[in-house]
Amino acid sequence: MSQYDALFEPLNINKLTIRNRIVSTAHAEVYATDGGMTTDRYVKYYEEKAKGGCGLCICGGSSVVSIDSPQSWWSSVNLSTDRIIPHFQNLADAVHKHGGKIMIQISHMGRRSRWDGENWPNLMSPSGIREPVHRATCKTIEVEEMWRIIGDFAKAARRAKEGGLDGVELSAVHQHMIDQFWSPRVNKRTDEWGGTFEGRMKFGMEVLKAVRAEVGPDFVVGMRITGDEFHPDGLGHEEMKKIAQYYDATGMVDYFGVVGSGCDTHNTLANVIPNMSYPPEPFLYLAAGIKEVVKVPVIHAQNIKDPNQAKRIIEAGYVDFVGMTRAHMADPHFIAKIKMDQVDQIRQCVGANYCIDRQYQGLDVLCIQNAATSREYMGLPHIIEKTTGVIRNVLVVGGGPGGLEAARVAAERGHKVTLIEKAAELGGQLVIAAKAPQRDQIAGITRWLVMELERLGVDVRLNTAANEEMVKEFNPDVCILATGGRPFIDQNEEWGAAEGLVVSSWDILSGAVEPGKNVLVYDTICEFSGMSVADYLASKGCLVELVTDDIKPGVGVGGTTFPPYYRSLYQREVIMTSDMLLDKVYREGNSMVAVLENEYTAQKEERVIDQVVIENGIRPNEELYYALKPSSRNKGQIDNEALFDIKPQPVLAGGSDEGMILWRLGDCVSQRNVHAAMYDALRLCKDL
Amino acid sequence: MILDWLPPTLIGVLLALAAIGAVRRINLWRAGQAEKVDFLAGLLAMPKRYLHDLHHVVERDKYMSRTHVATGGGFVLAMVLVLFIHLFGVKSEILAWALLGALVMMFCGALFVAKRRLNPPSRLSKGPWMRLPKSLLTFSITFFVLTLPAAGILPEGTGGWVLTLVLSVLILMSLSEMLFGMTWGGPMKHAFAGALHLAFHRRSERFGGGRSTGLKPVDFGDGVSVKEVHGVAKPTDFKWNQLLGFDACVQCGRCEAVCPAFAAGQPLNPKKLIQDMVVGFAGGTDEKYAGSPYPGVEVGNAKGAPNQIITNGLVNPDTLWSCTTCRACVEECPMMIEHVDAIVDMRRFLTLEKGETPNKGAQVLENIIATDNPNGYSPASRTHWAADQNLNVMKDVKQADVLFWVSDGAFDMRSQRILRSFVKLLKAANVDVAILGDEELDSGDVARRLGDDAAFQSLAKRNLATLSKYNFKTIVTTDPHAFHCLKNEYGDFGSDALKGVEVLHHTTFLNRLIKEDRFNLKPLQGSKVTYHDPCYLGRYNGEYEAPRELLASLGIEVAEMERSRYRSRCCGGGGGAPITDIPGERRIADMRMEDVTSTGANMVAVGCQQCTAMLEGVVEPRPVVKDIAEILAGQLIEEAH
Repeated sequence: MSQYDALFEPLNINKLTIRNRIVSTAHAEVYATDGGMTTDRYVKYYEEKAKGGCGLCICGGSSVVSIDSPQSWWSSVNLSTDRIIPHFQNLADAVHKHGGKIMIQISHMGRRSRWDGENWPNLMSPSGIREPVHRATCKTIEVEEMWRIIGDFAKAARRAKEGGLDGVELSAVHQHMIDQFWSPRVNKRTDEWGGTFEGRMKFGMEVLKAVRAEVGPDFVVGMRITGDEFHPDGLGHEEMKKIAQYYDATGMVDYFGVVGSGCDTHNTLANVIPNMSYPPEPFLYLAAGIKEVVKVPVIHAQNIKDPNQAKRIIEAGYVDFVGMTRAHMADPHFIAKIKMDQVDQIRQCVGANYCIDRQYQGLDVLCIQNAATSREYMGLPHIIEKTTGVIRNVLVVGGGPGGLEAARVAAERGHKVTLIEKAAELGGQLVIAAKAPQRDQIAGITRWLVMELERLGVDVRLNTAANEEMVKEFNPDVCILATGGRPFIDQNEEWGAAEGLVVSSWDILSGAVEPGKNVLVYDTICEFSGMSVADYLASKGCLVELVTDDIKPGVGVGGTTFPPYYRSLYQREVIMTSDMLLDKVYREGNSMVAVLENEYTAQKEERVIDQVVIENGIRPNEELYYALKPSSRNKGQIDNEALFDIKPQPVLAGGSDEGMILWRLGDCVSQRNVHAAMYDALRLCKDL
Repeated sequence: MILDWLPPTLIGVLLALAAIGAVRRINLWRAGQAEKVDFLAGLLAMPKRYLHDLHHVVERDKYMSRTHVATGGGFVLAMVLVLFIHLFGVKSEILAWALLGALVMMFCGALFVAKRRLNPPSRLSKGPWMRLPKSLLTFSITFFVLTLPAAGILPEGTGGWVLTLVLSVLILMSLSEMLFGMTWGGPMKHAFAGALHLAFHRRSERFGGGRSTGLKPVDFGDGVSVKEVHGVAKPTDFKWNQLLGFDACVQCGRCEAVCPAFAAGQPLNPKKLIQDMVVGFAGGTDEKYAGSPYPGVEVGNAKGAPNQIITNGLVNPDTLWSCTTCRACVEECPMMIEHVDAIVDMRRFLTLEKGETPNKGAQVLENIIATDNPNGYSPASRTHWAADQNLNVMKDVKQADVLFWVSDGAFDMRSQRILRSFVKLLKAANVDVAILGDEELDSGDVARRLGDDAAFQSLAKRNLATLSKYNFKTIVTTDPHAFHCLKNEYGDFGSDALKGVEVLHHTTFLNRLIKEDRFNLKPLQGSKVTYHDPCYLGRYNGEYEAPRELLASLGIEVAEMERSRYRSRCCGGGGGAPITDIPGERRIADMRMEDVTSTGANMVAVGCQQCTAMLEGVVEPRPVVKDIAEILAGQLIEEAH
């Protein structure tokens, strides 16, 4: 008896029984190595989801079927060779062992790729129109090539079947080859492969027929489609309904996955994986619209993160399966936790989009707050076992994400943990980050950690600034410093920080300093903080100019995250200025003058403003570390070889009479990010 | 001597009065319903049943068993000899000496009876029972003195008529208790009724170490001639030997001491209930009852008569619905009285005839009728839990070594963890197993305990019809309630679906697999574990060892609770008690968890989904609750890939 029963009603796709209604939908993992093979890391990543109870994993977003659809840029899975078959067998076994099902998305990316590497192919698309997001130019595809690719799809499907996977998903979304043919925005052909509705449908239909003929009637073949490209010249919702019906009528498609938005512009791409600025399930209506017209099950992902939300969607019958892909990255055991009546222990995705923003840079997908995700193969655990060794007295100083994670992991190990935080609340820089418009959900990282510390009985002492005497009196076996840093606004004396001419982004976001009327934000970092403070100031009605010496404001912010910032900043008429250094700031009467210098011409400009906000990163708070270091057993050192190998720190082997072990992690060492601090905390403390 | 005739006359008169009383008493019992009994065999077996089976229970309290052997044995022997020597005037010094010996034995026993009555535990009834040691002492001293001349120790006529008169008064006093009281409702009634109860017990299988725990089915007739009343409405609706059984009660209160509902302050005291049954079939009120009341209910207001509806003034229905059917009282009763049978009999009337199953009861019964499961889940969702288990379904495979009876835990997310763990173990041991899938129906346990024997019998018959379609050697279930129904109750319905089939609880089955070395398990470390015996596994089916052996196989040394094995305290979840939910002062599950906590354990192992649910319902912090299958599955060493 559970309020979540609706999620646990099995449903068949074709003849395949899926044990629940929760799917990890296809996403590019960037884990396939050895020329696109599903090797150890890949297998363990999906096995963990299956172990955690996921009903269906559709792996391998944008896995390629042909050698002229490059895979190496995003380490995607390569189905163009029989070499993949034994790797698929490993993958299928690992998932099936835990009762899960696994399929793979197969595609030819067409123009949506890069040509300048791997086999240096000419990219192809129906009419040779350039793709802007990847800056990809391409040729007009020829009929011979089409038939060859159609055959490649069939061969790829055979490889998936022979590898023991449960099905294939044809990608006809995200502007891959099939939907490049569908979309009148991209398909300008006048031959039988374009023009009319049937013409635009023909390539996809031939792929479907060839695949179905190859795999037979029982093997699952699904299609992932867009619900609306959101381009006036693209595929609209009504047309997508027509397309879905058209393919559904063949009886050859076993399910439809529906994604809201096209993605061949930066702005639409951000819709595809909605970050924290979006409301819950913003595009469910599109999937529901498709469900209205098709007979087979419909899957929909996009900002479904919470079991109650999922249950509500399934109970109401909008779709048949909910995709909870990022939710699985944050916590691959979240279904198990629902079943264990531990819903409060689910680490919920906050929509930081660290995962997908790394993917677009060709980096392996990682979760901002769960460092174990995709590192299962290295031995990083999602469920931390109690130690069978000595119980240690652990003192963590600093309650930011690194300190919180260290305290959590140490407490899960069964140690006696005390956490000291000088502020009145936990979260460190996340507290500040969450103050910005559209960024409040980042606080979810803290919320979960704090709840876990409470559950684990960690002694948390707020409003307590640690010093050397206090630590020595406490006499811990292990002292972990995660004391963070402070804004580095005094790097250049001319900025006048000492005279109080400039304030930091923290000062503004935390509310410590009232926003001025006419504000210049100088951001050398070009990540979230500068954009956030500019957005915050603008939202308070300030006139804001966001200046950077870098090539564009927010250039360090990933592809799905900068568009929501830009939407807001442009709407609020924030002036964005690139390539300008902040030379100096001085007071003139009641105003201030900021002198900017163009990096490339050295030409100076002045701005008369009443407030200068500097985002220049942080300097570590390391005073306590250096005070404690001499008397610590390990002189504060972390053995990097052991750390990087996910092995226990050698110093833990010694007896407790040899003095305190001292480690520091996070920004109190050097400025990195939330993931870095939490990764270090996890790998240091998992063997504590 | 002028008064020599007096003692024998008194003895004779009191014997006669006792005989009249006996006839009257027997007639009270005979007002009950007919029940076939082998009278001769029963009477012949009675001494052995007394000396062996009854004594076996009494012996759990060594003090009382020795006291009773001395007192009761001394009395019976003495009384027989008294008849020979003092009534029939047999002149034999040997018999007289034997009588003296018996009286000394009885006297010694009576001293201990007296000692216990100095500061009696609350479970003992007071009232007339307080004078019993005096009567026993008086009897033994009186007849000792009276017999001294016959033994040649004192010359005949010693003491003259004065002594004879004094002795006669004492004879009158003691024999009034020991003979007259025996058949006219005094404390000694237990000897008379008790002996006959043993002879004519309704569950003769219980004697000689056997077990008989299945409820007797309601006879719904052939559908043409419908019985007037289903269940027990009036005392005379009980079988005659059930009435006899009630009369055997010695009011020792051992049932009261083990009753979880009583301890929780719910309005049930098994001892009082049995006494109320006596009030019912003998007629009268409970004014003279001198034991603990039903918690929260004043004594003295209950009135009963043989043909009066019991729940109209004698016993409040809440008393009947407080019972968890845990059988602790039955297990503990030295007179082997069947409290649970009586309670369910009376519930049957309330449910079947009156439709007065309280609280959620009516809804649960409706659910069972409509959906074949108590919580009203869609029958088509019964196998959802197994969507990822790749289990064979009987409908497809038709036969398997083992049929896994899943039970209604299939619908419950917590219980599903137990099911999945068990399946994991079955797979690890390569057991050829199949389930019934959606063909399985609720076992009927809850319906039956709530008194709806019609729903139970319907489920049982349909389940049996399903089972008869398939071939299997063994049924295994993780649910002790279903286990009990299948093993002990389904046999009454004339099906041979289970003929030659072994019905096992999963702990028994797993223990066999372990002994065959079918698992690769790593020891469990870092947990202090206690084990809670589920009522329907332990007391109902006698399985105390397998769960403990399983835990031992993981290197676990069970930190036993004081109330364990046959004295295990119920979790509060049986008999539909959570459904009828009669208020008390505390929750039974909370008390049980206190038992757990007092061992210092941080984990309590159980073997029942219902116990798991009840114990996990106790607010945290509390020890972890895990089914043994879950613990074992967690320790499986899986082959590396």
